[in-house]
Amino acid sequence: MAELSFNKDHGYLEGLVRGMKAGILTDTDYHNLAQCDTLDDMKLHLQSTDYGKMLSSSEEDLTVSLVDSKLRENLVTEFSCLRSNALPPLSNFLDYITYSYMIDNVVMLITGALKQRDVAEVLPRCHPLGAFDQMAAVGIARTPTELYSAILVDTPLGREAVSDTNLDEMEAEILRSKLFKFEADRRAFIITVNSFGTDLSGADRSVLYPSCGKLYPEGLQLLARAEDHEQVKAVADCYPGYKIIFDDPEPESGCKTLEDRFFEQEVKLNTLAFLQQFHFGVFYSYIKLKEQESRNIVWIAE
Amino acid sequence: MVVLELEESSLLLDEKLLRFMDQLELLEEKRAALNSLIEQGWFSMSKARYSMGNKRVSALQYASEIEPLVCVHARTLENGEVDFCTERSKQKARDEAGKEARSIEDIGPQEEGVRRRNKPKNDIPEKKEGEEASSEKAPEVTPIRRIIELSAEIATLQTAILNSRQELKQCRKDKPILQEVSATRLEKLTD
Repeated sequence: MAELSFNKDHGYLEGLVRGMKAGILTDTDYHNLAQCDTLDDMKLHLQSTDYGKMLSSSEEDLTVSLVDSKLRENLVTEFSCLRSNALPPLSNFLDYITYSYMIDNVVMLITGALKQRDVAEVLPRCHPLGAFDQMAAVGIARTPTELYSAILVDTPLGREAVSDTNLDEMEAEILRSKLFKFEADRRAFIITVNSFGTDLSGADRSVLYPSCGKLYPEGLQLLARAEDHEQVKAVADCYPGYKIIFDDPEPESGCKTLEDRFFEQEVKLNTLAFLQQFHFGVFYSYIKLKEQESRNIVWIAE
Repeated sequence: MVVLELEESSLLLDEKLLRFMDQLELLEEKRAALNSLIEQGWFSMSKARYSMGNKRVSALQYASEIEPLVCVHARTLENGEVDFCTERSKQKARDEAGKEARSIEDIGPQEEGVRRRNKPKNDIPEKKEGEEASSEKAPEVTPIRRIIELSAEIATLQTAILNSRQELKQCRKDKPILQEVSATRLEKLTD
């Protein structure tokens, strides 16, 4: 019955996000961008897309990092437009989307503090979607207790997911896992595969796994015991959605990494979200599709 | 006698010229190999940034003060040539470093603070890339080590090429003098 009243509060924004989704780059756009020889050519081609004069307005020299920051700025502008017009519960949902960026920023600031980097050097690298007022003070804290009690307790992270007993670099990785099933399962697979050949044991690895997702709990127990890629593949074979990701690649598909295949699957799932109406998933999917688009453009630029 | 000297001088000049050309060709090959390895490195970095995100593949992954893994030692030999050698720095264990007297005062909390994940001390930068971890064995010579070796070889070769060029110039200066002397003596003989 929620569908009957959905449009009253959220119909305009759903229409807006569907319109913005129509502006996402197509195969033809990527083909044109891949043909470019220089960044100026890319700028020219991007002007004919929804990005418009985004790069032309800047007076700085055109570099890959400038392209990346402009793309991010564009995403933040669109997100801010949606957030500023959103009513509860959509506004809460959009806030939840920003929590993952906040956690990323906190982890980055902690990493910077551990590497004895100046806060002024690290702050510009933080994602603007995850900005919060107390961000600059994160690097000053010397212990997890101080970090939580002085800084994070008043932030959305402090209210929702963080406590002083579980805050350090590794636990922040765990917080990232409390988001969505596919994201959670992907993180579990990537953590497992990347831990091969390092000092991270199965027991240490299992602590990093999320407590949600399709793999939880049996699949995660199997992954914790996996010692090589074949064993991970055997676990994935038990789940139809992940079996295709680990299947042998087609000869003409080229050399794709596991990350590439997860990105492909994620894009497919996010595209499917737009097939239904009257739900908030389209907002999350749009943000993720725009992020993938930014990754693609930066990859072509590099 | 002079004619013999002239012949020997010509042969020596040809030999030095051929050696110079060989060195140039070798230098060209090594530079191409070095450029290729560096391009591969940049490509790997781009792939890592695509997979892991720009934040996780950046200068932030390294401490503000980094100890070198490899030191390059250079020395000048008696014949004026410069020789290079690379030496892997000995890395001390964390416990041993803490026991040694520190010349720099360590300011900060003595207790365990925000802790970092334990990483092996001999972790080389290329292992931090975001590519899928492979169960296959890594190649015997890592790309970074190969690049360092190639750089040292190229530097040595460039010094050798400069010396060869110098010798070639000297030989070319001496040859006309010998030719003149030979021509003068021939005239005297025919008179």
